Amino acid sequence: MGQAIFYAIVSVAICVAYFLAVDHFLMDAQGLDFWYMFRK
Amino acid sequence: MGFLTRKKMMSIMALGAMVGLLLLPIAVSLPALTSGGVAFAEDGKKEEAKVEKGRDVYYKTEGIVVGAPAPVTTDGPKDYPRYNFESRVLLWFANQQHLYYGSFVLAVPIFCMVVEFMGVVTKDKALAKRYDQLAYDFIKISLTAYSLTAVLGGILIFTFLTLYPAFFGYLSSIFRPVMHIYALMFVAESGTLYIYYYGWDKMKEGFLKWIHLSMSVILNIIGTLLMFLANSWIGFMMSPAGVDEQGRFLGNIWHVLHTALWNPLNLHRILGNMAFGGGVVAAYAAYKFLASKTDEDRAHYDWMGYIAMALGVAFLIPLPFAGYWLMREVYAYRQQMGITLMGGLLAWLFIIQATMIGILFLSTNYYLWQAMGRMRGAEKYQRYIKYLVFILACGYLVFITPHTMVMTPAELKAMGGQQHPVLGNYGVMSAKNGGINVIITTTVLSFVWYMRGNKVSTVSWAKFGNIFMGCFFFFAYINIVGLAIYGYYIPANVRVGLSVPQVATTLSCLFFMFALNSIMMKGAKQTGAIEWGKISARSQYALIMLATAFTWMMGLMGYIRSSVRLFWHVNEIMRDNSPWAYTHTVGFAANMISFNVLFFWISILFVFWLGSLAAKKAPVEAKAAVPGSAPQPAGSH
Repeated sequence: MGQAIFYAIVSVAICVAYFLAVDHFLMDAQGLDFWYMFRK
Repeated sequence: MGFLTRKKMMSIMALGAMVGLLLLPIAVSLPALTSGGVAFAEDGKKEEAKVEKGRDVYYKTEGIVVGAPAPVTTDGPKDYPRYNFESRVLLWFANQQHLYYGSFVLAVPIFCMVVEFMGVVTKDKALAKRYDQLAYDFIKISLTAYSLTAVLGGILIFTFLTLYPAFFGYLSSIFRPVMHIYALMFVAESGTLYIYYYGWDKMKEGFLKWIHLSMSVILNIIGTLLMFLANSWIGFMMSPAGVDEQGRFLGNIWHVLHTALWNPLNLHRILGNMAFGGGVVAAYAAYKFLASKTDEDRAHYDWMGYIAMALGVAFLIPLPFAGYWLMREVYAYRQQMGITLMGGLLAWLFIIQATMIGILFLSTNYYLWQAMGRMRGAEKYQRYIKYLVFILACGYLVFITPHTMVMTPAELKAMGGQQHPVLGNYGVMSAKNGGINVIITTTVLSFVWYMRGNKVSTVSWAKFGNIFMGCFFFFAYINIVGLAIYGYYIPANVRVGLSVPQVATTLSCLFFMFALNSIMMKGAKQTGAIEWGKISARSQYALIMLATAFTWMMGLMGYIRSSVRLFWHVNEIMRDNSPWAYTHTVGFAANMISFNVLFFWISILFVFWLGSLAAKKAPVEAKAAVPGSAPQPAGSH
């Protein structure tokens, strides 16, 4: 069980980081700001 | 020289001849391509005083005028000779039928090439033979359809010449060298196809098989180039280039070919044709499955239907993204054209299109869930399917919600405005992008489940792999839906960019999860064999539904693309002055598309029937040698 929780935490960390990176860099590549709402 | 060597020599010569045929049209037309007509150039030298320059309407470059202006037509027998019937509808019918068959005979040889290649590289000899037989079945179907495509092409040209002589005369004056290349390419395609088909048995092993496979590559290069050339004509009609504002050709044929919409059209059409071809072959296999009398036949056609469906869906998944690119280029070329398409006169047709796209994905998913029934061990996924149905239904309903409705004043009052207070929010692009990406991601998930249905991973990190895959899909959904919601809170100029990470999220699931799953399933323990043929009849109706929806959608999208020119033969260059230069009602268009679909399916059933006659006459020993007739359950998908 403990091992599964560890795997889940690692997986969540990788997935969240990956999708945020996809959002940020692909918006940036278009000259747009992904964090627009949070900066305003 | 031994027999085998002679055979090899002959094969290499045949391949060389095909390459020659491929290059011949280009070599023959090279002088015309570079100058836009040698005669024009020489005339120009003699009469320098008469040289007139014009500015390209798209590229904005200057060029010497070498063509006549686009004719200004008038409604009458000279420019628009007619029967007592709407000429446009006759042309619509001829064009659509030619396109259906053209798409089919373009797509099937590509499948054939892929399947033959799979047969050549696979190490399992029984499976290799089955792939080879399947590829042969594919090309056999397309051969009869090929003749019909040529006949329909002839009918189409005669329809143009007799009903729209002024327009066709202008178009052929611009595309003169291209049309000759097209005709020569068609000869090359025919020659290659017949050698490829009739050489199948003689080149079935070793080095000769590779030569045969190379022939299929050349066949498909020719076919694709043919389609690109035909696309250049419709590209020119929608977004002309290489001519001045009067429509006079400026001598640069590349500009005429390479219009603003040519490449998006090329990509969209090739993907669409592949998906359509897969659908038609899958429907053929479904029909044969349902009509089969023996378990062996059922097993063979079940497998054939699955392969055709998988290939078709592989091209269906990127199709919406190619569609977005096309629309983006349309907007970039003429914003008004984009608005007419997606926010104006033709917008309701896009709602119908969304409905059809949703049906395609729903049918695919349904087929995959049913197909899990032929695998022992796949039962473990059955209880989760209801959640996929829910996710798909939500995505689909959002995807098909219209922005505004046509309503009576009473209905308008009852609803409190043009938009529904809740559902109206789903009628915008932000929500729709989320909807379609959810649908596609769910289809990818269904595929992954299908691929691991009867397998248990034996890799040491299987537990981590499974948890990671689950997390990846979960966060992919979160990201897609999150971006869709985020789009409501930011300005339109920022929102428009969100579609790119949404698409990237879906494609990440497609590529990374397929790759990860394949690695995890390498050497996996099988919980049971795939029992080909042991699938519900309902699944086969799903395949037929898939093919019919595709045919209908192709007809619809062709109509939309053509209608966006409104009252222009060539957009902003040559006006359509016939009495039919108006846009049909949605109802009339839908009826016409349905008629075209019905006609295509009746005629292709005839083609299938002809193919079955040939199969019945096959000698007994030849039939016994058919590997697919006694299929063994395949060890892999």
